[in-house]
Amino acid sequence: MANPVLKLKFDDINEGDEAPVVSHELTRTDLVKYAGASGDFNPMHSDEVAAQAAGLPSVFGHGMFSMGLLGRAITDWAGAGNLKNYTVRFTKQTWPGETLSTKIVVTGKEETDEGKVVTAEVTLVNQDGESKLSGTTKVLAA
Amino acid sequence: MSFDDFIGKPTGANTIHVERGSVSRFADALTDSNPVYSDLNAAKEAGFDAPPLPPTWTFASAFLGAYAEDQPEDPTGGEGNPMMKIMRGLMKDGGMVLHGEQEFQYHQPVQCGDVLHGEGKITDIYTKESKGKVMTFVVMETVFKNDAGEPVVTEIFNLIHRGK
Repeated sequence: MANPVLKLKFDDINEGDEAPVVSHELTRTDLVKYAGASGDFNPMHSDEVAAQAAGLPSVFGHGMFSMGLLGRAITDWAGAGNLKNYTVRFTKQTWPGETLSTKIVVTGKEETDEGKVVTAEVTLVNQDGESKLSGTTKVLAA
Repeated sequence: MSFDDFIGKPTGANTIHVERGSVSRFADALTDSNPVYSDLNAAKEAGFDAPPLPPTWTFASAFLGAYAEDQPEDPTGGEGNPMMKIMRGLMKDGGMVLHGEQEFQYHQPVQCGDVLHGEGKITDIYTKESKGKVMTFVVMETVFKNDAGEPVVTEIFNLIHRGK
């Protein structure tokens, strides 16, 4: 039975606290790797010729890659296996060459039947501050 | 068929084997170098018996861990996911299909070696007007249970068709 180690200390967490930022420059190799690892072979993500034929400037990133990259920043912060909820709205496409950065800001904390829960707003933005996705997460703390 | 006729309809069912190869490669594809996903000792130090799942792994799980010999009966009777049928119908008049929102609810940690039983259904379909265009939202919920029948992860997938 899994008993994940809790990384966050409930008493030390305050509203407005920010988790360490993860930044990543998106490459076409990322898109191909994610296609292969997830089975999402939509050519708009992996076939430059098809994407341009469809009127796009290039291939663009999978939304679920963006959600996964932001998820990595959440588990780096709270520890793997300690999420209770992770919800996002996809707002913009991502493009190769963009630098994507995570932002995780604590909005509250409460003791619940399921344990000590910390709530945060989560966003992924590019180098110009354009939001690619935004949402919320609930994670467990010790 | 009206949209309301689709609400409650099953979208599919899968038996999923959670295996180390797919978990470690999926984490790597997300640039996630946390050793818990690839190193059994690191996973044990983090409180698991085996590597755990990256938060979004189940979204790809029907591709990653479903094998023919132990799949449940197809609840769509071979019709396939009605969500895709709805979107194909809307796309006849053009437009664009977008992944609008995605939610994961985590009920219990999942780790390699677990077998999951996923069942999906359409839970809502609604339209909104935005900038003179009709947006059609189709919401699908998939519940993954463990071998004991307890829910471990619930996914809520919101697909949008934006009309021309």
